[in-house]
Amino acid sequence: MYRILQILFVALCLLISAHVVGSRAADDLGVLVDQLGAAKLSDMDDRIAALAKTGDAKVIPVLEALGEGELYQRKSDGKVFLVKAGGADLQLVDPVTGADAGATPKAAMQKVKVNNAVRRAVRSALGGLTLFSEDTGARLKAAQSMLQTPNADALEAIETAIAAEKDGSVRKVLVEARAVTLLVSDRPDDQKRQAIALLAEGNGRNGLAVLTSALATADVSLKPDIEAAIARIEQTQAFWSAGQNVWYGLSLGSVLLLAAIGLAITFGVMGIINMAHGEMVMLGAYTTFLVQEVVRNSYPELFDWSLAIALPLAFLVTGAVGLAIERGVIRFLYGRPLETLLATWGISLILQQSVRSIFGPTNREVGNPSWMSGAFDLGGLTITWNRLWIIVFALAVFAALLFLLKRTSMGLKMRAVTQNRRMASSMGIRTPWVDALTFALGSGIAGMAGVALSQIDNVSPNLGQGYIIDSFMVVVFGGVGNLWGTLVGAFSLGILNKFLEPYAGAVLGKILVLVLIILFIQKKPRGLFALKGRAVEA
Amino acid sequence: MITSFLMRSFDRSILIAVAILVGLAMLVPALNLLTAPDHPLHVPTYLVSLFGKYLTYALLALALDLVWGFCGILSLGHAAFFALGGYAMGMYLMRQIGARGSYGNPLLPDFMVFLNWKELPWFWHGFDMFWFAALMVVLVPGLLAFVFGWFAFRSRVNGVYLSIITQAMTYALLLAFFRNDMGFGGNNGLTDFKDILGFNIQADGTRAALFAASALMLALCLILSSAIVRSKYGKVLVAVRDAESRTRFLGYRVEHIKLFAFTVSAMMAGIAGALYVPQVGIINPGEFEPGNSIEVVIWTAVGGRGTLIGPIVGAILVNGGKSIFTAAFPEFWLFALGGLFVLVTLFLPKGVVGTAGAYLARRRAQRKAQADQMPDNLAAEPMAAE
Amino acid sequence: MTIKASLTGAFLAAVLSTTALNAAFAADDTIKVGILHSLSGTMAISETTLKDAMLMLIDEQNKKGGLLGKKLEAVVVDPASDWPLFAEKARELVSVDKVSAVFGCWTSVSRKSVLPVFEELNSILFYPVQYEGEESQRNVFYTGAAPNQQAIPAVDYLMANESVERWVLAGTDYVYPRTTNKILEAYLISKGVKPEDIMINYTPFGHSDWQTIVSDIKKFGSAGKKTAVVSTINGDANVPFYKELANQGVKAEDIPVVAFSVGEEELAGLDTGPLVGHLAAWNYFQSVDTPANAEFIKTWKAYTKNDKRVTNDPMEAHYIGFNMWLKAVEKAGTTDTDAVLDAMIGVSVPNLSGGYSTMMPNHHITKPVLIGEIQGDGQFETVWETPGLVVGDEWSDYLPDSKDLISDWRAPMSCGNFNVATGKCGGKGS
Repeated sequence: MYRILQILFVALCLLISAHVVGSRAADDLGVLVDQLGAAKLSDMDDRIAALAKTGDAKVIPVLEALGEGELYQRKSDGKVFLVKAGGADLQLVDPVTGADAGATPKAAMQKVKVNNAVRRAVRSALGGLTLFSEDTGARLKAAQSMLQTPNADALEAIETAIAAEKDGSVRKVLVEARAVTLLVSDRPDDQKRQAIALLAEGNGRNGLAVLTSALATADVSLKPDIEAAIARIEQTQAFWSAGQNVWYGLSLGSVLLLAAIGLAITFGVMGIINMAHGEMVMLGAYTTFLVQEVVRNSYPELFDWSLAIALPLAFLVTGAVGLAIERGVIRFLYGRPLETLLATWGISLILQQSVRSIFGPTNREVGNPSWMSGAFDLGGLTITWNRLWIIVFALAVFAALLFLLKRTSMGLKMRAVTQNRRMASSMGIRTPWVDALTFALGSGIAGMAGVALSQIDNVSPNLGQGYIIDSFMVVVFGGVGNLWGTLVGAFSLGILNKFLEPYAGAVLGKILVLVLIILFIQKKPRGLFALKGRAVEA
Repeated sequence: MITSFLMRSFDRSILIAVAILVGLAMLVPALNLLTAPDHPLHVPTYLVSLFGKYLTYALLALALDLVWGFCGILSLGHAAFFALGGYAMGMYLMRQIGARGSYGNPLLPDFMVFLNWKELPWFWHGFDMFWFAALMVVLVPGLLAFVFGWFAFRSRVNGVYLSIITQAMTYALLLAFFRNDMGFGGNNGLTDFKDILGFNIQADGTRAALFAASALMLALCLILSSAIVRSKYGKVLVAVRDAESRTRFLGYRVEHIKLFAFTVSAMMAGIAGALYVPQVGIINPGEFEPGNSIEVVIWTAVGGRGTLIGPIVGAILVNGGKSIFTAAFPEFWLFALGGLFVLVTLFLPKGVVGTAGAYLARRRAQRKAQADQMPDNLAAEPMAAE
Repeated sequence: MTIKASLTGAFLAAVLSTTALNAAFAADDTIKVGILHSLSGTMAISETTLKDAMLMLIDEQNKKGGLLGKKLEAVVVDPASDWPLFAEKARELVSVDKVSAVFGCWTSVSRKSVLPVFEELNSILFYPVQYEGEESQRNVFYTGAAPNQQAIPAVDYLMANESVERWVLAGTDYVYPRTTNKILEAYLISKGVKPEDIMINYTPFGHSDWQTIVSDIKKFGSAGKKTAVVSTINGDANVPFYKELANQGVKAEDIPVVAFSVGEEELAGLDTGPLVGHLAAWNYFQSVDTPANAEFIKTWKAYTKNDKRVTNDPMEAHYIGFNMWLKAVEKAGTTDTDAVLDAMIGVSVPNLSGGYSTMMPNHHITKPVLIGEIQGDGQFETVWETPGLVVGDEWSDYLPDSKDLISDWRAPMSCGNFNVATGKCGGKGS
């Protein structure tokens, strides 16, 4: 009951204060906003603080626009406007009234300069202003900015907000923000001690940062507490960092798996040393680029679906290219595996140069759909969405492929032809057709891998080159002709690499992995999961 | 006895090739140095170093052919041996610069000075002496090949697996040499050489001499390879290529046979690298690039695998083509090169020399058949064994 | 045998005839300009643009009537990102095609590879890319930035405006980042930064898995002091690096990244929305608001027939270098190398950022230094600019062995590594 009253009281206060100054503020606000336009970058801090101090809700869109770089000054009279992006002309919106102020050519306007310092000031000012917003998302953002930029003045506001907050996740951040802010304030030591204890429980980096800087200035009596808390957080982080390495390893492994899985078909199952495999991945990535181009220009609302559209298309495009390569070149080379190496190397040069001629040599932009951007925290781990989806996708492709090979009649024929071509032919299987389809399947899967890899890597004509050697290593390490081997090989190489990297560095880590592969092959000359039986000698 | 050895070791084609090489070694420097620049027969220095470079490539391809064409080991790491030989020579050339570097440090190469190295790393000692560097040119690649081959062949790693781990080897070396902490100049490698054995490396005379040395070394290695291939050991080598298990069951130690060929081949590649570096004036980790090793395989395949002349012709053809195309059609030459590889594997599986040889042999047999009025003749075996 | 002999014979003849053909053309009434940029291989991504830019500049000049009453003719070759091939092609350009000057190279190693060729054949190379310094050669003009024209002002800016106290120096493991980081480390320590507040990290070329390093950066940045990343990460590795930064939520307001190798061209492959505020230091941005730049951009877009093509700093370097060469040739009245080398020093031409760049006696040029923040549209916005022009310093003052060296290619001294302590040319002058 008491709490509700308190909320009401605070809300009332805010309303009244906004109203009382209301009439006068409209002019003042206009002046203050116009001052933003004239200010030097170094003065912006004070101007923003002055705006924030008005406490007026109208300030919020102005500050947001400033942070986004959508605030422009009219060159003729120095008036500052919000600007909505539009064709050649700029659509102006009056910052105070929110009314439409017509369109003006770009040349007549000058953008209000923003830099990181300004954006920081905007962020913390907005944090104070939106702490009591209706929107949960805005409150969460405000709480997070309070957490990142602790400001002793905001302590009381945070405490009021905590009391008012009903949403659990926002509240959690607010409590942490309060603890962080407490440490930089001049509150009594026992409150600070509580805050330190609270921060020690968490594992956040923000806590660590605040504690470390507090250590230098804190009271002697507090120092042991702070040191203990720091040690505690570092311990938790060390624990999580092992988990982090496993996660990074899995993620790297999934990339390797995606890159290698098509090769596991063309090279592992069919025995073609397919040097053009990387280019199939690249073609898949360019298909994604093209799909996104079309979506961006014609159906922008479908952007989040662009990858889903690109997947089957990439499969078809690269599958068709694979089919053409098999029919045109490789079918003449069966039984001469080493010569497929030469021919496919030539093909890879041609494909690379074709893409370079058509799309140009520079990187092409492939965007992340919203569901693949950003990260979330799981315990002490930061897990990025795109990596998570790539792991899921790699496993899904693997499962689908396994199903296709082991559970369908097409798969049965593929295995039959690769194990004993003549026998399969006598049984009435059209071996040339099966060969062509198998190669097309391997290429198509490489193309689908390209869709996924376009999310984390460059889309350039050189894309495939970066993966070809790693892919061969994975397939050979896992055991040629064994899909499970490719899976285990990819993930173990990924995790091994990520555990070596912190100690040996990225370069040496990679060298060590290669040396280990060489040594491993000495021990098991046919890889992790060697095929047994007669097929081996063939 | 020596004559009989020689007779056994060469057929006519090898003798002619050696004669051509020796002839070139004398003629080209003479035409370069003794004729006036506007003389119609004058060979410009530009062409001398260009062809000198091709000859070292030819030697590298010959080395690869010895293991691939005759022993069936497809090494995708031969450029590594080439580069190691090159680095050994490069280190000698760096030490020869002495105090003439930008910083005038008598001991340390420039790249060590500005990265604040205080003393010469241990593995740089001794490279101020030519004989030591020359020894290292063959020893380092030879030793690496020996150790690598020792493990690989004993574990019976073969076929594609061997190819891929040789590729892993060259890739690991590539990354290692890229590291600046290794003390080999990182990505920039070794460059800015001044002189070799006291001669200015940029002088026309030195270039001509290096060309002659390359030609003679190629001739020498051709003789050596031919002797190896035509000896009893060479027959076993081919047996290993064609039926490894059968040869093993006959009582031969297959791994020793392979190891010998692999090591000799790596040494030859090292020599090629050592001759290459002073002619192009730079050695850097790019030479370890796995793509380079694949290119060597392609030269050999284009020329004709399993013939000794083939790789030489292939290396000169492909690289000559590359030189011309990169200037004539800079935007499209990769299409030509890629197309060449596809067409050669499809239509000339025995390579240029192998196919031409087979064609000649067939014609000779036909003519002989006509002369002898023999109704059926067994066409002479094409010299390229598939 | 005979086949082989005739084959090589035919081939030799072919090579000779092409060279003879080329030589015949050389006698024509044109002045030839060589363009030595990779059009295939790993560096094509950056260098192809420069080839196009040079072709455009030459085209424009011909429209204005050429040079010395003759038309200019571009000779384009493809060194294919292969360093020894750079040397071979340079030799071909100079000795077969007889070009008067060569504009080319991107990586340091390609420049190192062709240096002896230009020295031996006495020709001229214009090198347009920012580099590590520690070099000054008689036949080379360095129109890109030396470390003091890029790295040091950037660090100054971060210290002054963002009060950064903790530094991550992240780079690709090759000579430019190594040297730049050595210089920066010495500089930072001279400014009172503690060694434990500097983290140096190197990655291989084309590194694509940045998870560990980005999380290390976050960890290093949580020590309670303002942290910034100085990135000398090269080319292809940048896109995955920035993607990882964006996804792991490293915001420019918290840990700004200032890059020396990321320009408009690199950003074209990225959604820059999440990267707003990260910085780059260059001597030119496409967004620079001057009439000369607007004209340049317009010509470029028209020439490439692509409205989305961007311009970048090395293109401006070629623009400056090319105009300097034109002016020097006009001044000398000939394309003869020695005369042009003499005429070049002191030549001053307008740059695209509204001022004049001058060729200094050390073969480096004067430039303004701009710090820009990445914007949502893939452009940079200048947030700071050096008050005047900065002279390229080839021998860094922050490396112990090079601080005594200077370079002056004017007549009496004519030395690229003059030691002011010993008063002798040639390093230590011993």
